[in-house]
Amino acid sequence: MSTPVAHTVAVRTRGIDMFFGDGETKVTALKQADFEANRGELIMLVGPSGCGKTTLLSVIAGTLTPQTGTVEVFGQRLDGLSQEELTSFRRKHLGFVFQSFNLIPTLTVLENVMVPLLIQGASQDVAVAKARAMLEKVGLKGREDGRPNALSGGQQQRVAIARALVHEPSLLICDEPTSALDKDTGAQIMQMVRDLSRSPERCVVVVTHDHRIFRFADRIAEMEDGRIRRVVADASLLDTNHL
Amino acid sequence: MYRLALNMLFGDRAKLAMLLCGLAFSALLMAQQTSVFFGIMSWTYTPVHNIRAPIWVSDPMVEQANDAKPMRDTDLYRVRSVDGVAWAAPLHTSFLQARMQDGNFKLITMVGIDADTFAGAPAVLSQGRIEDLRLPNTVIVDEWGAQLMGRVTKGPDGKDVVIPLKVGDTFEVNDLEARIVGICKVRRAFTGGPFVYTTYDRTKQYTLGARRTLSFMLVEPQAGVDPVKLCARIEADTGLKAWTSDTVIWSWSDTSLARNTFWWFWKNTGIPFSFGTAVALGLFVGIAVSGQTFYSFVLENLKYFAAIKAMGAGMGVIARMLLVQAFTAGLLGFGLGVGMAQAIGRAMIEKGMPPFVMFPQIFWATLALVLGISLVSAIIGIIKVSRVDAATVFRG
Repeated sequence: MSTPVAHTVAVRTRGIDMFFGDGETKVTALKQADFEANRGELIMLVGPSGCGKTTLLSVIAGTLTPQTGTVEVFGQRLDGLSQEELTSFRRKHLGFVFQSFNLIPTLTVLENVMVPLLIQGASQDVAVAKARAMLEKVGLKGREDGRPNALSGGQQQRVAIARALVHEPSLLICDEPTSALDKDTGAQIMQMVRDLSRSPERCVVVVTHDHRIFRFADRIAEMEDGRIRRVVADASLLDTNHL
Repeated sequence: MYRLALNMLFGDRAKLAMLLCGLAFSALLMAQQTSVFFGIMSWTYTPVHNIRAPIWVSDPMVEQANDAKPMRDTDLYRVRSVDGVAWAAPLHTSFLQARMQDGNFKLITMVGIDADTFAGAPAVLSQGRIEDLRLPNTVIVDEWGAQLMGRVTKGPDGKDVVIPLKVGDTFEVNDLEARIVGICKVRRAFTGGPFVYTTYDRTKQYTLGARRTLSFMLVEPQAGVDPVKLCARIEADTGLKAWTSDTVIWSWSDTSLARNTFWWFWKNTGIPFSFGTAVALGLFVGIAVSGQTFYSFVLENLKYFAAIKAMGAGMGVIARMLLVQAFTAGLLGFGLGVGMAQAIGRAMIEKGMPPFVMFPQIFWATLALVLGISLVSAIIGIIKVSRVDAATVFRG
C-alpha cells in the first residue's frame, strides 16, 4: 500500500446511533459507531449487507442525521446543523460517486460534469471550462458532447468521478464504485480514485463489497452489526468470505 | 441550472411530445371552443352591429335586439320632440318567409328603413345602389342571403352548383314581388335568416298591413349631447326604452343594447353551458394529461433529482428547475394549441360557419389556464421531489 501524504483527521464520528422506525418496527442501523479517516487517505468501509455501511456513509455525507453522537468532517461539526446548512456543506465540500452512476441520461457528458459547479452558482463559461478540463483529466476528452448511455460502464464511472471532483471537494464519497464494472475497468477506476486522494486537502471514503479492489485502500474499516469491528491496513487480514 | 433543466426536458423527446400533446390539445379545446362560443354569441347582437345608429329606442318590455315589440307610429313623434334629439328614424324588423322562383321558402329577416334618410341602411353594397330602394317593390339582400336563396343547378360535372341572386332577380314575400336592387355586405345573424332590406313604409305591404310595424327607432343626438344621458331623458319623457349602440360586451354599460342582448342569450339559452362544458373538459383533460405526464417525467428523473439534492442543490433550486420545465412545456403547448385553433378558425371564417372570434381576452385567458395547468403539474412534481430523501442515492 502506498503512503498517504498526511495523517491529520479528515472525518471523525463518535458514538453514532442511528435507528429507523419505532416500537416493534424499530431497526438499529448504527450502534455507537466510531470512525476516523485521515487527510490524503483512501479508506474503505466493508462488511456484510445490512451491517450499516451505507447508513454510516450517509451520516458522514450529511444526508442522514444520527440520533446520537458527533460527526466532524474537515473540522466542521455536522451534527446540529440545519438541513440548509448541511445542504450548503455538501455543495461546497463533498463529491459523490454513486453505485449506479446516476448520470442524467438526457444531458450530455459535459453537462453532467457541470452540474456541481452550476449548483455552486458558477457561470456557464466557468463551468464548461472546468468540466472540460476534468473530463480530459479522467481520459474522456472528445466525449464531451455524447450522452452517458453511449459510453461503456467504465467510461460512465469516469464521468461520475469527473462530476464528483470537478468542484474540488475535500471529501469524496464513493458508494460501490466498481459494482457495475468488470475487474480490469474496476481496477483502472480505483487507481484513478486513489491517485486523486493523494492530497492533504482530500479524503476518500469508499463503501464496497468488492474485495478485488481492497488493495487500493490505505486502510479498511470492517463493519459488523452497526459498529466498526476493526480497522486494518492490510486487506489480507480480512476474512473476505464474510464480506 | 435552468439551461440544464431545459436540456433534461428536451432530452426526452417522447415524453416531451406527450406533454406537449396534452397541453396543446387542452389549449386548442379551450381557445377554439371559447372563440366559437363568442363568435356565435356575437351574432346575437348582429342587428346593432349592422344597423348603425347612436341610440336605439324600443318598447319598454324589449329585452334584447332580436326581440321586437311593435310600437305606435306616433311614438316616433314623441321621441323626436325630446330635447337633445337631432333626428329619429323608424326601423322595422320581422321574420318572414320568402318564396323563391323554384317554389322553395326561405326564412328571412326583413329590415325596413326610413326611405328619406336611409338611416340604418347597410354601409357597404357589393352590387346596386341604395337609392334604388325608393323604386316600387325593391329590396336589398345580403351576400349570405344571395347565396342561400340562390338557384341550384347542375354543373358540368353533375354536381349541384348554386347561382347566387343578383340585381334584377326577384322573389316573393307574402305573395308580393320583391325585386333585388342591391347586394350588401353585413354580418350574419344568430337566427340564421339572411337580411332583406326595404323601406319602412313598404314593410306594411310585406307584413300584410300589420297594425304596428315600428320595431325600433334610430336616434341621433344633437352635437355635444351625451348618448347615455339622452337615453335617460328619452325614457323619462316617453316611457319607452332607450339603448346605446356600443358593441363592447365587456363594458359595464347598462344601456348597451348589444351587451344586454349578449347577456340575455347567456342567461336564457343553453349555449354557455354547452360551450362551457367543452372548455371545462379541455381544462380537465389538460390537467389530467399534462399533470400525469409531467409527474411521470418527474418520477423517471427522481433519482437524478435526489442525486442533485445530495450534491447540495436546495429545494429552491430544484423547484425552480421544475417550474422552468413545466412553464416551458406550457408555453410551447399553448403556442401549438392556439396556433391550431387559429388555423381552424381561419378555415371556419373562409367557409363562414361556425363564427370564430378570438378576443385578446380569450388569448390571455387560455395562456393563463395553460400556465395554471403547468403550475399544478410543477407543484405535484415539487411535492414529490421534496419528499425524496437525498440519502436514497446510496441505496442503489
